[in-house]
Amino acid sequence: MKNGKKTKTGKRLAALLCAALVLGAGAGETVRASSLPYDAYNYDYREDIVFTPSAYVPDTSISGVNLGVGAFSSPQDLCVAQDGKVYVADTGNNRIVVLDQDMKNVLRVIDGFEHDGQADTFSSPYGVAVSEKNELYIADSENKRIVVLDENGGFVKIVDNPTSEILEDGYVFTPLKVSVDYANRIYCIGRNMFEGIMVFDEKGDFTGFFGTIEVQITLWEKFWRKLATKEERSRQQLFIPTEFTGIDVDGAGFVYASNIDPEGVQAVRRLNPKGEDVIKKGISGNLGGDVAISMSGIYSGPSTIVDVVYRGSGIYSILDSRRGRVFTYDREGNLLYIFGGLGSQAGTFTTPVAVESSGERMMVLDAYRGEIITFLETRYGSLINEAVALRYDGDETLAVAKWQEVLKLDENNELANTGIGKAYLTAGDNKSAMKYLKLGMNREYYSIAFKRYRNEMLKDNMSFLLTGIVVLCVGGYVFGRVRRRRKGKTAEGGIL
Amino acid sequence: MKEYFSRDKWRFLFYTMTHPADGFYEIRHRGQGSVPIAVAMVVLFSICFSMNRMLASFVVNDVDPRAVDSLRELTAVLLLYLLFCVGNWSITCLMEGEGRLKDIATVIGYSLVPMIVTMVPATILSQGIADNEEVFYTMLLVAGIGYSVIIALIGIMQIHNYTLGKTIIVLFLTFIAMFIIIFVCLLLADLVTQIYNFFYSLYTEIIFRN
Repeated sequence: MKNGKKTKTGKRLAALLCAALVLGAGAGETVRASSLPYDAYNYDYREDIVFTPSAYVPDTSISGVNLGVGAFSSPQDLCVAQDGKVYVADTGNNRIVVLDQDMKNVLRVIDGFEHDGQADTFSSPYGVAVSEKNELYIADSENKRIVVLDENGGFVKIVDNPTSEILEDGYVFTPLKVSVDYANRIYCIGRNMFEGIMVFDEKGDFTGFFGTIEVQITLWEKFWRKLATKEERSRQQLFIPTEFTGIDVDGAGFVYASNIDPEGVQAVRRLNPKGEDVIKKGISGNLGGDVAISMSGIYSGPSTIVDVVYRGSGIYSILDSRRGRVFTYDREGNLLYIFGGLGSQAGTFTTPVAVESSGERMMVLDAYRGEIITFLETRYGSLINEAVALRYDGDETLAVAKWQEVLKLDENNELANTGIGKAYLTAGDNKSAMKYLKLGMNREYYSIAFKRYRNEMLKDNMSFLLTGIVVLCVGGYVFGRVRRRRKGKTAEGGIL
Repeated sequence: MKEYFSRDKWRFLFYTMTHPADGFYEIRHRGQGSVPIAVAMVVLFSICFSMNRMLASFVVNDVDPRAVDSLRELTAVLLLYLLFCVGNWSITCLMEGEGRLKDIATVIGYSLVPMIVTMVPATILSQGIADNEEVFYTMLLVAGIGYSVIIALIGIMQIHNYTLGKTIIVLFLTFIAMFIIIFVCLLLADLVTQIYNFFYSLYTEIIFRN
């Protein structure tokens, strides 16, 4: 009997355990933060780190071996064409590998082209870009030229030897990164070219520099330079503007260019056709990747931004090679989410060099490992992307539903709170607007909501207020008179 | 205790607010001041200060409410008060100041009253203002601080029987003295910990011997 009882309870326990396991497995479909090889976090208004659900989770890693074309050797650039094809600049192997939309099959390997009836090859093709007409632009760095090929790999033109008065004598043109806009203007980052992005017109003629970053000298440095003698000055390090590291062009012809900012404040620029920076900075005023950084240790110092990708609806992502993170901002300069990390696990990088996006997939190219690591959007990420896109299109009311969903996953999300607050403000519910805008730490809009709420309150309670004032005045007057009379009486009577 | 908090003393505090020169002269020479009231004012100031940081409206307040610890702020304010009084006293002793430590403590405590008086209404006012009306709030606060500084200056001038120029020099020297005091204190603390560590290591050595 006793044994039987024991086994019964044992069976029950086992059943319970099984049920728990099944339930657990069912819940396990969503990727838990703990199973990710990196932390998903963001910065709040006070620049404190807050952990968030992950916006993107690692999907696959694609190497040349998997694809059957031999290992990539130090690939440096990645480009997604409008039809979804993926172009990889396999720099060390002097070839361009074209993958299909799913990145499972190799469509073509371009390792040369026919030029004036002769076979020509690449030498360290460093950057690759595809135009709207599906023409392929290759920064053929060691051959000192940009090669333009058509969709089928046929030769179109070669851009080399830029000549201009503004170029120094003996300048060797070594194109590293290349991008092309709707009018087939070529934007190119050259090695050791500190003056800005080089622009070529559609005929391939050099037209000038673009988006020069101005050198910033602090007052203190100026003071020391004043004190130094000529000899000392010649030995001091030169004040050289930082180089651009990556470029991307959006549909309207605005150029997104990343650069390395030693201050960690602004590592990406949005250049209008005149070459002026028109990027918007959010409340924090920071577009430099990580905000809270340690000043010592292996991972110290500001983020080293090596590439930028424009993803539509005003959203762009930048890639930090120092800590292997991808930072995504919206048009207003708000930091939307952060993912990625350095390491050797699946889903982390060793030396990330390029970032691209295609639909709900993000991909990062790792030069050392010769792999493309892809990430898939989670529900959290897609909700934010959709909400931001809706706001970009002006549908703030439609965005509210998305923001509310975001709040369910991440209840302290300041952007979501601000989005909801703004919608309440336009709907005229000032009290709710105040609540959400305060949670979103948006002082400007909170103030607007507060002003409207105050006016509302005053208008509603004007009659009470005025009555109150009248009652007080009359009461005070009467009280004063009564008191005076009493005093007078006591003085007269002399009693009491 | 009663004589320190007597009605006359309280009344004289407010008299001093409107007549600082006369008031502080009386405090120095006729014993009208009260150190306990001055200390109470310092405590009150610290409370008002923390309250302002915590409760001022979101529009004007950029302080993280989680970062406000009123008890810590109270200790900090009291320590600073002590430090300033001692610093000023040690300097004025050398520079023919007539004030006693008790007078200095009274002056500093009393001169905080305008700040207390403006900080509370400013905090209440902040609940009713929007973005571009911040000026009223800041003006109120600045007025309080300005008045406090003026009163403190006049007070120190009066109790030590200084000219304005000498007062300013003395104040400057006071700050240097404060730094020296802090430095010496840190040095002493370091020394004490080193001695403690020495004996502690001796103790552990003996313990582990057998």
